[in-house]
Amino acid sequence: MRFPRRKHAERRLMLELTPMIDVVFLLIIFFMTTAQFARLTRADVDLPREKGEQRHTPEEEGIVINITRDGRVIVSNETVTLDRLEELVFDEIERSRGRSAELAKVMIRPDRNGSTDRLNDVITRLQGMGVGGARLATEVPGQTGR
Amino acid sequence: MRIRTRQSRRRIDRITLNLASMIDVTFLLLIYFMVSTVLARPEDRLSPSLQTRRDSTTALISDFQPQRVEVSILDGAPAYRIVGRVFRSQADLREAIEPLPKDPGLFIDVHDRVPVGFAVAAIQAARDAGFEQVTYVPVK
Repeated sequence: MRFPRRKHAERRLMLELTPMIDVVFLLIIFFMTTAQFARLTRADVDLPREKGEQRHTPEEEGIVINITRDGRVIVSNETVTLDRLEELVFDEIERSRGRSAELAKVMIRPDRNGSTDRLNDVITRLQGMGVGGARLATEVPGQTGR
Repeated sequence: MRIRTRQSRRRIDRITLNLASMIDVTFLLLIYFMVSTVLARPEDRLSPSLQTRRDSTTALISDFQPQRVEVSILDGAPAYRIVGRVFRSQADLREAIEPLPKDPGLFIDVHDRVPVGFAVAAIQAARDAGFEQVTYVPVK
């Protein structure tokens, strides 16, 4: 007969792992989704250092046009010509049914050290297609983030 | 005296799921994604209207004299020019346009060969000065 030993075995410490696994999975999902999004639309450009409009309202990004320092135009990780860019913008206008070209969502991410030559070319083409406005991306100075 | 019955033995031999290997893999995945994720800086935006030079002059000629800031290279350096006055910094430009009436908006004529950062600074100055309607006009 071993009464005392049995009592000890039943009282062993249990570590509750469920919340930790939940949090770890959430973190993995977060990193997976954000990493892919950044890679697809944003090229590595040095944006103008301005605080922007500071509206903090989430907005549909639409087509993202990156303009590098050497004047290359990159859309969805692919260098495109101005003619190809027109096609892509046209597709974007077509995709957003019920919205006119005037209100098409276009985000331009120009390198601040580049020349306005290429930015002016892109804006002239957009304007020629009837796009009434564009958003110029800026890097908020003095802030760090993910 | 407690006798070990069949029932109590079953309770002791209950099935336990070993989670150690899954936690290992999960942590490895977490570390991989944390390390491989490109660090992105926080971004904001400026939303100017777009207009070509011809549109912006003909549309307003009959109504009023449009308020224009010209961004170009003067004497080898980028400069802002408004009604004949030349400014070299964003702060000076902002100070100059602040007293202007806001309703007509502001046209920013951006010439080629100007650094993009300098041109975008003009749009920011206009926003900071209180202009809701800012129009980017590319000048080729």
